[in-house]
Amino acid sequence: MVKITLDGITKKFGNFTALDNITLEIEDKEFMALLGPSGSGKSTLLYTIAGIYKPTSGRIYFDEKDVTEVPPKDRNVGLVFQNWALYPHMRVFKNIAFPLELKKAPREEIEKKVKEVAKMLHIDHLLDRYPWQLSGGQQQRVAIARALVKEPDVLLLDEPLSNLDALLRLEVRAELKRLQKELGITAVYVTHDQAEALAMADRIAIIREGKILQVGEPDEVYYKPMYKFVAGFLGSPPMNFVEAEVEGEVLKIYQSRIPVPGQYKDIVKKLNITEVLFGFRPHDAEIVREEREGIKGEVYSFEPLGREQIVTVAVDTDVFVKVFAPEGEHFRFGEKVTVVPNEERIVLFDKKTEKALEYL
Amino acid sequence: MKDVETRPKKGEWIIVLTILFASLPLILGFALLIISSFSRDMVTDLSLDSFRPTIENWINVFQGRLAITGGIRQNILKITLNTLVVALGVSGIVTLISTLAGYSLSRMKFRGRKLMMLLLLMLHAFPGVALIVGVYLLYRLTFPQEPSFVRLYSFFYVILARAALEIPMSVWLMKGFFDTIPWEFEWSGIIDGASRIRVWRQIMLPLIKPGILAVALFGFLAGWQDLIYVRTFLIDQTLATFIEANIEAEYSHMPLIAAAGTLYLLPTIMFFLTAQQLLLQGYSGGIKG
Amino acid sequence: MKGEKLRNLSFFLSPMIIMVGLFYLIPLIFTIYISFTKMRNWNTERYLTEVVGLYNYQRLFHMFQHDPLMRTVLLTTVVFVGITLIINVFGGLLLALGTFFVNESSASTIRLLWLLPRMSPIAVYSLVWYYFFHGSDIGTLNSILMKLGVLSQPIPWGQIVPWGAWSVIIFVNGLVGVSFGMIVFTSALNQIPKELVIAARVDGASAWQISRRILIPMMKWHFLYVLTWQFLSLLTTYPHLFLLVQWDLVSRDYGTTLALYVYNTAFGRGEQDQGLAAAAAVLLSIIGILGGFVTLKVLQFEKMIHEPRGDIE
Repeated sequence: MVKITLDGITKKFGNFTALDNITLEIEDKEFMALLGPSGSGKSTLLYTIAGIYKPTSGRIYFDEKDVTEVPPKDRNVGLVFQNWALYPHMRVFKNIAFPLELKKAPREEIEKKVKEVAKMLHIDHLLDRYPWQLSGGQQQRVAIARALVKEPDVLLLDEPLSNLDALLRLEVRAELKRLQKELGITAVYVTHDQAEALAMADRIAIIREGKILQVGEPDEVYYKPMYKFVAGFLGSPPMNFVEAEVEGEVLKIYQSRIPVPGQYKDIVKKLNITEVLFGFRPHDAEIVREEREGIKGEVYSFEPLGREQIVTVAVDTDVFVKVFAPEGEHFRFGEKVTVVPNEERIVLFDKKTEKALEYL
Repeated sequence: MKDVETRPKKGEWIIVLTILFASLPLILGFALLIISSFSRDMVTDLSLDSFRPTIENWINVFQGRLAITGGIRQNILKITLNTLVVALGVSGIVTLISTLAGYSLSRMKFRGRKLMMLLLLMLHAFPGVALIVGVYLLYRLTFPQEPSFVRLYSFFYVILARAALEIPMSVWLMKGFFDTIPWEFEWSGIIDGASRIRVWRQIMLPLIKPGILAVALFGFLAGWQDLIYVRTFLIDQTLATFIEANIEAEYSHMPLIAAAGTLYLLPTIMFFLTAQQLLLQGYSGGIKG
Repeated sequence: MKGEKLRNLSFFLSPMIIMVGLFYLIPLIFTIYISFTKMRNWNTERYLTEVVGLYNYQRLFHMFQHDPLMRTVLLTTVVFVGITLIINVFGGLLLALGTFFVNESSASTIRLLWLLPRMSPIAVYSLVWYYFFHGSDIGTLNSILMKLGVLSQPIPWGQIVPWGAWSVIIFVNGLVGVSFGMIVFTSALNQIPKELVIAARVDGASAWQISRRILIPMMKWHFLYVLTWQFLSLLTTYPHLFLLVQWDLVSRDYGTTLALYVYNTAFGRGEQDQGLAAAAAVLLSIIGILGGFVTLKVLQFEKMIHEPRGDIE
């Protein structure tokens, strides 16, 4: 149970910079998700924390100790790989016991600890089997057991759920979170699935092209994104972005006019900005047929989803926004409607830097 | 990335040094031979006095001026040419036959296919020395009556006989290469109406160039390095039989033999430097993986 | 089978079939036949047509029991195959593991260096060791030991019987054979998923522990493959030994294995006895066929042969 401090970590592979000056603090006992698209460097960062990669520059600290050059076995970390990396020629018991055997722990201690951790993960009845005899979900638990058996200070997980089917994924998500809280281990969790990160993490670090864009609690990064990319990456379907021009206290969006949202009035005036990106989430708007202040457009398509439906509205040529509507409402193709975003949830971004105005 | 980057470098260097130490005789042996070819005396006694640098040996080699067998000149270039002919011949035959057979074993279903493949494996393991007696008898029985054809026939025969030894492994190797090509290429050709032979020639062969290169290379090396077959069947000399015959050379002529040996070694070194990947792939036998 | 398919198969397979027939099948039959004749000095006119039954085999078995030279050859063969096999298999394994844990450029250099014996022309390779083990003072080994003060006079290593000669032939052939194991094991190691090594590192294993507990257990088939293949190969190899004996670097009696004996008896200097050689060759062939068969079964090669799943007909 340690606090992890990353100070200016840069990792280059030849000419390619995988991690660019990353500074991050992960608190003791915290569940930190590293979220980003594939190739963003999140796994690289995880492996650097594990000690598999040595940073090109920068230091890593576990609590006060500088572990930058320390090999993995001396860092006391447990690592769960994406495809589990179980030793195929060893039974489950041996797979889990392996780290303890390497430490030359006494037989009885090994047996006790292995059985304990197996019980905790509900695989104590599988100890005699070989990995190829287990299902995906079972293999994954074995991988987690192997990581936990040596009672590590840090638990590192590299997209551990990506090889499971959707239903199993939801189950295991909840269990993992519970487990981490119970054991009180600092956990770093790599994923490209934003729903997973939002559901499980204490804090999320969004990574893109080797840089951390924003770190914060799920609510914070969801409702107060710092970058257009963050806003677009979190939430499904993603946030809508339309171009808007500032004219005094009003935003001109194609044929429509909306007042500048309350939370942005001062900022817009102070920054003297004329062009912004107007962002709002599909769940944070309604579609109305009456005359109201909003973005005018035509219904382009609608997809029923059971309890609700997603309606795509064309607000200009080749410019579309998606909004959720209740299941009961009926729409017609080409019907003229107005999209009214929830004022408090609107986010305005600077067009050039793509940064949310309040962070400029 | 096959291992962690934080492992101690010290451990690595210990391994490298241990292996180099074990390789010392090997390195020493070859190096001394090559160096001796540039010296008036053999340097293999590791004494600095023996090293009297000269390129005399090499000049003599290329001028064919060896005069070891009592004043008779040996034409080294002709001997090298003979070696080249054998090597190219073996390479060509092995490549041709194995690309043909390898294709059908990879792509065509027929009765006896499995048996044929197992037979090839057994042939590969079969003791060559057991066959050579029979191969020689066949040679004698098919010997041409016309004296002027005799030397040509010995070339012809040694190439075929030596190539035959490489056939089992080369066919397996080529089959392995063909196995890696997706079936879609084949199917599209057949659907377009091409005959099997056409598909092989115009679609598969171009796709399999690295494999052909590998097999051709191995065939060449097999022919180039051969000793037993050329000494048993070939009437002319190759560098192998030349070196064998002249080991009784006087002291002063030993560096000349070293030069001939180094010359003989040249293609091997060249292939080393240029075709590393190919070599490693081919020598693993292509049987598993 | 359809006519077109038959024509296609003939086109592709007949060159190989002809080669196999001409240079494996017919020679085998010839060798067997010759073993039943009294063929000497390749005097085909005189001896080819006269079949003498098991004469050569009787001689051979008599020699196995009573002839000191033959017994020496057999002993040499057993020692040679046994010791060189161990060197080849374990040397290859150690080299593969060693190069696995070092950086790629060192590894490539090492692998190519150890491929040199196998790839060199046999005559040059023999020449290298001829000078290395030469009995006079131009011999490298002698020079080193004399310079170190261990020896005062050069020793003809290959002529010291039996272990001098045996050591030289084992050493010379061992260097050639090690490369086979090295390459097979390296290829096997490359097939092991890299995460397993990294997971083991995270679990705390050293290179030796990783080798012993993870890498080696996963290469069981390859180990058997190298073992059986090398055994058969060592039993029947003779080119790399030929010149060593021919040039008198090693003692003839203790430097000749059964395979070399067959060749020298059939083609060597002095009196040639093809009948006897053929009989010994037939014996070797039987061992070779049995050994090959056992190898196929043990390594389960049959299971590795799959039907071509996409053949259209």
